Amino acid sequence: MKKFCINFVFIQVLLLISLSLGAKDFFSGKVKKLKWDNLEVIYLEDDRFPTYQFNIYFADGALSDGSVKGVTSAAFNFMTLGTRRFNRQDIADNLEFYGTSYGSNVTHEFSSYSVSGLVKDIGPTVKKICHLFQDASYPKEDLNKEKKRILDSFENLVSSPGALASRAFREESLSGTPYSYPAEGKTTDVKKWNKSLLSKKLDYFNKSVKKRIYITGPKEVLLIKNVVNNECGWKGQGTFERVVNYKKPTKHLKPKITLIPIPQANQAQVRIGKFLSNDEINEPELMQLGSHFLGGGFTSRLMRVLRVESGLTYGVGAFAGGQKQYGRAGISTSTKVESVGLLLEKTKETIKKASAGEISPANLLRAQGSLAGSYPFGFESTSSYLSQLTYLDHRGEPYSSLFDFPEKVRAFNSEQVAKMIQSLYGWEEQSITIVGPRSLKKILEKYGDVTVKNYKKFL
Amino acid sequence: MNLKRCFLLIALAGSLFLTACTHKAHKITATKMTSEKGGIHLEVKKYTLDNGLRLLVYENPKLPIFSYYTFFDIGGRHEGAGSTGATHFLEHMMFKGAKKYGPRQFDTMIEGNGGNTNAYTNFDNTVYYESVPTKSGDLNMVEKIIDMEADRMQHLALEPAAFEKERQVVLEERKMRYENSPQGQVYLTLMQSMFEGTPYGGSVIGDVSDLKSLTRDQVQEYFKKFYTPDNAVIVVAGAVNADEVYSMVKDRFGSIKPSSKEVREYRLSRDDLKLYAHKANYGRHIKLHSVSKTPMFMLGFPGNAVGTKESFVRDILASILGQGESSYLYKKYVTGKRPRLSSISTHNYTLKYNGIFWLSGDLLKGQNINTVTKNLLKETQVLCTSAITERTLQKTKNQYLVGYVSEIETNRGVAHFLGMRENFFGDYSFYKKEMDIYNAITVDEVKSTCSDLFKEKNYIMVSTWNKYPKKS
Repeated sequence: MKKFCINFVFIQVLLLISLSLGAKDFFSGKVKKLKWDNLEVIYLEDDRFPTYQFNIYFADGALSDGSVKGVTSAAFNFMTLGTRRFNRQDIADNLEFYGTSYGSNVTHEFSSYSVSGLVKDIGPTVKKICHLFQDASYPKEDLNKEKKRILDSFENLVSSPGALASRAFREESLSGTPYSYPAEGKTTDVKKWNKSLLSKKLDYFNKSVKKRIYITGPKEVLLIKNVVNNECGWKGQGTFERVVNYKKPTKHLKPKITLIPIPQANQAQVRIGKFLSNDEINEPELMQLGSHFLGGGFTSRLMRVLRVESGLTYGVGAFAGGQKQYGRAGISTSTKVESVGLLLEKTKETIKKASAGEISPANLLRAQGSLAGSYPFGFESTSSYLSQLTYLDHRGEPYSSLFDFPEKVRAFNSEQVAKMIQSLYGWEEQSITIVGPRSLKKILEKYGDVTVKNYKKFL
Repeated sequence: MNLKRCFLLIALAGSLFLTACTHKAHKITATKMTSEKGGIHLEVKKYTLDNGLRLLVYENPKLPIFSYYTFFDIGGRHEGAGSTGATHFLEHMMFKGAKKYGPRQFDTMIEGNGGNTNAYTNFDNTVYYESVPTKSGDLNMVEKIIDMEADRMQHLALEPAAFEKERQVVLEERKMRYENSPQGQVYLTLMQSMFEGTPYGGSVIGDVSDLKSLTRDQVQEYFKKFYTPDNAVIVVAGAVNADEVYSMVKDRFGSIKPSSKEVREYRLSRDDLKLYAHKANYGRHIKLHSVSKTPMFMLGFPGNAVGTKESFVRDILASILGQGESSYLYKKYVTGKRPRLSSISTHNYTLKYNGIFWLSGDLLKGQNINTVTKNLLKETQVLCTSAITERTLQKTKNQYLVGYVSEIETNRGVAHFLGMRENFFGDYSFYKKEMDIYNAITVDEVKSTCSDLFKEKNYIMVSTWNKYPKKS
């Protein structure tokens, strides 16, 4: 085993250097920063396929919503419901005829709209998307149909315990911060959405919010410059970028447990995690390593303890990451109802050991090798590469941090990792959300104060 | 650490990559869905060992990584009553150690060097895959993966304690996918009803009672019968040299014995087409109680085997009817004047020896499931003339072209793309024929197949709702 460990260190050092060279050499010359009038454009040249990816980044998100939440998300999602010239069926038929994929992603801090398809069709497709941004009319009848669909889907979330647990967990673990409310809103918000609110919101994003274009494909995709400048009307005039002043939530001294009973559950969904304020997300590489050590892949500590050694769960994963001003750390798993207590005990123990520095060199190297070694896969598909560039720009970090990643990950020692795990997953500070039968309350009371909440509160 | 040796190897690792960079990454220049000049063409080398093992290699030097797939021609259809779930259970156990690489060494080697690994099982195949950096320092990961895969193909440990732990894991997986998922329950019930009395009428995950009683010996038996080189296809795609890969595979797998005549005959007996003929009891509506607040359903019709002309036409039909917001049924039932459903989609699921065509959806609150069922069945009698037009057909062909290109964007995608075709058709380049077939399909053909599909009313409706009695 010792020999294995020594070889392992040696191998990892070499891997770091060879892979850093590899991805950097392949891609560094292929990313170009352009200006289309004053609009920032990031172009990643890729002529392997006759396809393109076109993403529009907006430097504001769901935090721009007023008293009625989810409006930003709805304004983007429902652009395709109609314009003064086209109804929703014409729009869908036109875009889908070209085999186009399109859609939005609204987070609290930023929003994006993505379009992809065949290069030969990029002109008419982007022209249509620009038309939607400029002329979306949110016809009342179609909007009402969509609202009904969303309300039905909220109500039926009880039939997807995993999705319900994740939604409730966000709200519980981020409670007291501006980020806890779901970006897509809740039932009471959806009922208030109307044409006027959505039109104003889209107008705000069109005119006032800072935008950036991310585009990949062969060189001819750059020919859409005029379409973007003239048809979308985006020339770099929007400058607003969301910055929030918020008060850090007070830390709790023992785990805060929320039980959300659902009928007929023979399995419990378990989520454990906490909010990270902006001064806790300054070491993204170390955060990733800490969470990866604990719950990344089949060989992570939690996977070994909970699945391999105990047969308690099908899967467990840990995550930790930050956006620009806040972050989250979490663990996600499930288990049979009767073993929830044991699963919590073993999770707590695993965290405690790692936080106390019980990190074997072999396990640390495995986690470092896994994270650093997997780095070239992030460049394999250009859409995933574009996402990484978007994320770095959003956080205001240089692209070089992409290429420095493996080196940084391999440089951390076990003390640093232990400290980070304590900071991210220290048991007393965790919010624990469990979706399962009401009978779990008694068991859970052994682990902290339990609040039982009706699942409808989260819809 | 020996620094001198370290620097030498850094130089070697660097030069390996620079050499790789001098090749231009493969370029796909598809402008229309065809295998003709300018269409999709993947440069693949195929090798067959004396023991029947097939190897496909696609060289792609873009990045210093590769994907390795193993397709075994074994799935849920090979199981009998009392042993459902054995194939899938075996898939789990394949990660639990073998002779040379004991417990935890397989995934530690892969993940510890930046790779990832997993597997899946369906009725026809069991597929294992890894995506890994090509080199890890002085370690040739291609060689290492081949060595580990050869080890577990021959000498699986099936260690008893690990077997029992994994039984619990599989039972949890079953709960997650089926017992606690109304969609999963509906799907499982529809498949078991449509393929009742055929080898596709079981359950890939396994019945709970079978999973609880499955023995190590039973799983071992499946392993011996089906995990043989003549029943496998290996596909490697990425920054590798095809001839070197062949040489390593020949070295590690070449001495593994193929199946005995008896086992081959047994396997052939499971390929008898007669076994797979539909014999379901049609014209019924199965109602399942669940927590779903609004009814969700799947309406199934007997389908065809993969690769038949009819199956290609039905793929197109499924896309026209219910894939995307501009599809016929979506426009009529979800976004139309009087919406009844919050979602609907259609799918043509083709298995190796038979298939199923289904419509699935969720009712809007306040809609009646019996009325919707009646409407949909009535609709199937008229939609063939109104849904299928030159435009909807061309739209589908355009979408398929984008789909083909996106499937092969990564090494993993390419390996899966090639392996599926080699495993089903014995021809990795079958995609060229497929594209030509899709491209040649006419409106009249789709209309004709549509009428054939729906004319007999050979349907099985399965729905679930919290208002249904607990046992119906």
